[in-house]
Amino acid sequence: MSSIYTRGGYALPSSSLDFKTGSWRTKKPVHLHAAAPCHHACPAGEDAQAYLALVEERRFREAWETLVSANPMPTVTGRVCHHPCETACNRSKMDSAIAIHNVERFLGEQALMRGWDYPMSPLPANAPAVAVVGAGPAGCSAAYHLRRQGIKVTLFEAMPQAGGLLATAIPHYRLPRLSLEGELERLLGCDIDFLPNHRLGRDVSIAELRTQFEAVFLGPGLQKPRPWNVDGAVPDDLHQGLDLLREWMHVGTLPQWNSVAVVGAGNTAVDMARVLKRAGVARVHIISHKAIPAADIPPEDTMPAIGREIFQALEEGVQIHEHRGVQRLVLRGERVTGIEVVHMKKLRGTDGRLRRVAFAGTESILPVDQVIPAVGQVLDATGLREVLHEGWFQFESYNGVLKQHNNVYVGGDARGDHGTVSEAIGDGRRAALAIAARLRGDAAPAEHKREPIGVERLNLHYFEPGDRPEQPMLPVAERDAETEIELCLGENQVVAEGERCLSCGNCMACDNCWNLCPDSSVLKTREKASDGSHYVFDYDYCKGCGLCAHECPVGYINMIDEG
Amino acid sequence: MLQALEGSQALAKAVALCRPQVVAAYPITPQTHIVENIAKLVADGEFRCELVSVESEFSAASVALGAAAAGSRAYTASASQGILLMSEVLFNIAGLRVPMVLTCANRAVSGPLSIWNDQQDSMAVRDSGWIQLYCGDNQEAVDTTIQAYRIAERTEVPVMVCVDGFVLTHTLEPIDMPEQSLVDQYLPPYAFSRALNPAQPISIGTLVSPDFFTEARHSHHAAMIKALAEIESADTDWQEVSGRGWGGLFEVQGPEDADTALLTLGSTAGTLADGLAQIPGGDRVKVIRLRCFRPFPVEALQRACAGLKRIGVIERALSPGQGGIVATELRDALEELDNPPKVHGFAAGLGGRDIPLTIAAEALRRMDSGEATRFAIIDVELDKLPPEDR
Amino acid sequence: MSTAPEIRIEDLRRRQPRNSGLISGHRACLGCGEALAARLVTEAAGPDVAITNATGCLEVFSTAWPESAWTRPWIHSLFENSGAIAAGVEAAYKAQGRSTKVLAFGGDGGTFDIGFQALSGMLERGHNVLYVCYDNEAYMNTGIQRSSSTPHAAMTTTSPPGRERMGKRHLKKDIISIVAAHHIPYAATASVAYPADIKNKVRRAMAIDGPTFLQIHAPCPLGWGHEGDQSIEVARLAVLTGLFPVVELERGGIGSVLQLREPLPVNEYLKRQNRFRHLFRNDARATQELEHLQAIANHNIEFYGLRGDRPAAGDACGADTVRRGG
Repeated sequence: MSSIYTRGGYALPSSSLDFKTGSWRTKKPVHLHAAAPCHHACPAGEDAQAYLALVEERRFREAWETLVSANPMPTVTGRVCHHPCETACNRSKMDSAIAIHNVERFLGEQALMRGWDYPMSPLPANAPAVAVVGAGPAGCSAAYHLRRQGIKVTLFEAMPQAGGLLATAIPHYRLPRLSLEGELERLLGCDIDFLPNHRLGRDVSIAELRTQFEAVFLGPGLQKPRPWNVDGAVPDDLHQGLDLLREWMHVGTLPQWNSVAVVGAGNTAVDMARVLKRAGVARVHIISHKAIPAADIPPEDTMPAIGREIFQALEEGVQIHEHRGVQRLVLRGERVTGIEVVHMKKLRGTDGRLRRVAFAGTESILPVDQVIPAVGQVLDATGLREVLHEGWFQFESYNGVLKQHNNVYVGGDARGDHGTVSEAIGDGRRAALAIAARLRGDAAPAEHKREPIGVERLNLHYFEPGDRPEQPMLPVAERDAETEIELCLGENQVVAEGERCLSCGNCMACDNCWNLCPDSSVLKTREKASDGSHYVFDYDYCKGCGLCAHECPVGYINMIDEG
Repeated sequence: MLQALEGSQALAKAVALCRPQVVAAYPITPQTHIVENIAKLVADGEFRCELVSVESEFSAASVALGAAAAGSRAYTASASQGILLMSEVLFNIAGLRVPMVLTCANRAVSGPLSIWNDQQDSMAVRDSGWIQLYCGDNQEAVDTTIQAYRIAERTEVPVMVCVDGFVLTHTLEPIDMPEQSLVDQYLPPYAFSRALNPAQPISIGTLVSPDFFTEARHSHHAAMIKALAEIESADTDWQEVSGRGWGGLFEVQGPEDADTALLTLGSTAGTLADGLAQIPGGDRVKVIRLRCFRPFPVEALQRACAGLKRIGVIERALSPGQGGIVATELRDALEELDNPPKVHGFAAGLGGRDIPLTIAAEALRRMDSGEATRFAIIDVELDKLPPEDR
Repeated sequence: MSTAPEIRIEDLRRRQPRNSGLISGHRACLGCGEALAARLVTEAAGPDVAITNATGCLEVFSTAWPESAWTRPWIHSLFENSGAIAAGVEAAYKAQGRSTKVLAFGGDGGTFDIGFQALSGMLERGHNVLYVCYDNEAYMNTGIQRSSSTPHAAMTTTSPPGRERMGKRHLKKDIISIVAAHHIPYAATASVAYPADIKNKVRRAMAIDGPTFLQIHAPCPLGWGHEGDQSIEVARLAVLTGLFPVVELERGGIGSVLQLREPLPVNEYLKRQNRFRHLFRNDARATQELEHLQAIANHNIEFYGLRGDRPAAGDACGADTVRRGG
């Protein structure tokens, strides 16, 4: 030591900086931007946390722009999505999940009301051209994202209008016409070459598209009902659920029945049942293999339809027969007069595999004058045969590129591995980004799944309890075919949701780490923090106590072994 | 101009002349009159200072330390138990090298309880690292108080001015109080270089490891040795401006070529001189009044004692089980001379026992008689003790 | 990867939007509550202060010569005289006509016990000093010996549990009431779990020309027996159970208090600390001591009216609610 003793042993201010306590450390804090459960769970790829943060500051347009960077149709998904984001939301373990779908819808409505345009630059003169087949959610999403990537899009649609199932099969009381048309109009209006009434295999062929365009995205949907019979018996006046829905949407009336059984447990079945009620059918039954959702039932055992739709159907008088199967059609001649139903359950067999078991002795007859299967759709192969393999697409799961045809991509229900609007929108986006990368000569973007952060990594003490707002609903007595049932939240309510967001795994710049470090080893900086946080660690002095990590409300700080 | 003043009153005025900004004290006999008089001067607006009447001597010393460390001239006074209660702080003040002045109105230390004069209190804190100056009379006490500030501030070592309790503090004498202008000229305003100041926020009172504690002690010891010159020049310079000097480190009376001397501290010196004047041959005996006990003026005493055959030390304190404190230190200091005088140690006047004029003759008699006088309590009356305690 | 401009960390340290009196490089243990509390106090007090510091952890870990972690004028004299040194500094500043505020720092030993007299004198004489007691409830610097601030039944090296004892036999001294009984303008308790509250109270005290007192509950991971990363959590639980009431006393009367929503059972606090480990044995005496501590918490809640009528933004659950952007 070369110091000279100071008279009386005084020391100069701040001289302790010569003593680097960082050498004591065995663990060190690092920032880790873990995936928020909502973002991780969103099939469309929305980062709800990001737009909730902006909503909290009432920066609605920026919030909407963040939202539409993933999903161009928030007013649609804000209504029809089953919002797995909310199921995953960590806030649900504290009090109640953030009402993300309401915020999404609010932003979408604001955009329509105020005429906000998508943030998008004009197409360059030499833009490459890509064909998109099918103007349903997948195709529209693909077209939109391709366009955002500076690609010229020609969108082929067999029907006279865009929207696919959104337009033809989702009742207006769930998805008002104006909202859908507003979204579609804006989407198609951003320099997309939309060609309605162009049916694949009739008006245009895959081969033509593959030669005329640099790439092709296929979003044809599932257009054929899944074959249905009971022990080979099919009523001769069989109506398929989806066909009846389309008829209702198009014409506004249905045949006059007294009592109808809808077979199925998905959204089509529930929509069909509710539409039948509205069409004047007195007794509407849903025969479901699965259970009505309840807190104590595992999700895989419950009806796949959206929970709130199921409860609205019940409110409206639809009878749901859960854990039931149709065992026999009671026919008078070729006409149905009833069905024999039996209790069923999914059980593990001696081989360990799950299968449905019907319980003898539980049979009963349900008198109905019509039975409507709503058990799903299958691919219509017309015009697609050259790119199919044994009747189905074979594709790389993440971006949907076909395995044998590397400039053809598929998305939406036609993939056969999922069947929701949000998933279709996600397919369209990922395929578009892959196509854009391919046209640039880059490798396709790879799946990069971060593990979502668990509630145990958060410090919930730092958040005030507060429940989500109750969504205003149209009373049952006032419900009709057109009027929307679920109403929009107000501005203050969505801002409150932004405030309630726990910002899981993402620094919210709350200053806790900066305030609570006993060693002043968290430094605040916007410029230097390159990770989106506002802080860096001063490892010269950080002793690795872990206080910052423990008190980080959002689990953004991880302690890792030194070395 | 001479004024008839009680010692304590004179001391209070002397303190005021030094313009300390903070005075902190706790009452203890026989120091009380000093702080009472200061309080009155403050109350009358004759002395502007923050007078902090604390709840103990411990806090008195602490407040004075805080004030001095904050850059103010500070003063406190105490005695006896009070000195011992503040002893932890006294070591601390000195070790931190913070200048200030303390008056010790010397008094015996309990138990048994005695409120009367001896010098056991200041002697008990002789290793605290303070400069200790002992006064022969009240005029000297006044002048020494003024000198003490100059010494303390120039050396950054605190100074304890020792004044015999009652004997001096409660005695009325004619005193020449210096003019304020004279004192101001001698003792200019002081700025402590290490004062607590937000503009230069140093840390005082750190933890010093074994790597440096030895050097800390050495530097303190060296500062004390160097202070000898400051103590001498403070007195010389004061003499120049006031006409009064007190001998610097010690005052010597009697013939240059004497072979016998008596050495004492404080007011006893006057008693010895008067006593010697009454005995035949008394004029052949030197009287050395040690003013500066800490630092111990080894070389100056060696010079003053060279040629003496014998020297008797009469002190109002002792180190039980060892004997005379000053006598032992003097014996050690003179041991380096070629023919060191024999040093006889005597304690006397403990707990306020009057020291009579005959003490000088008795001390000389014992030194002559060949009785063992390495150390004795000269005025003890053994018949007052049970035989087994004699 | 990073495109951030190159900023030297030395410059960043200097440019922090706070002015801390205690900075990095001090040698406090990992997760030291006292180091945190002292920094927060100095930040709120601002630069025009002088600090006196009693002997103890804070003094030792901050000033190992030739280094000091202080950026304010600072003096340590002895264990028992922080209040008196502060009084002296204050008297000097007053005499010099300076407005610099004096802060006196001490631990619970230097405040409740050995420095109690000097503290009382300072309060009684009305010195313009903010005295801050960093209360970690034992003599930690000397190796965890019981002080009069140690809670009842807590284990220290001089109050060990054994066949005849269940930790400390006596109660925690009610220092805040004693201090408040000096009829000073402002005396308050605070907890490191509530940094904003500490800062507000320091600012309040700074604005008062007279003696003020702040007792800050500051966990000692080593002495209390918990990991360093738990310090805030443990401090918070002391508040939320009612065992450490966060209150303000003005001129001896109860002012505002940090209210609790639903007080937590004291076990929630106790079970996280090894110093209370012996209370969780299957032992009738242990059960009795747990009940005793719960009764003390209940008494605090009743005495200070800690139970809020309804959840409020400023209560013990709401006061530390975080917001985006700090």
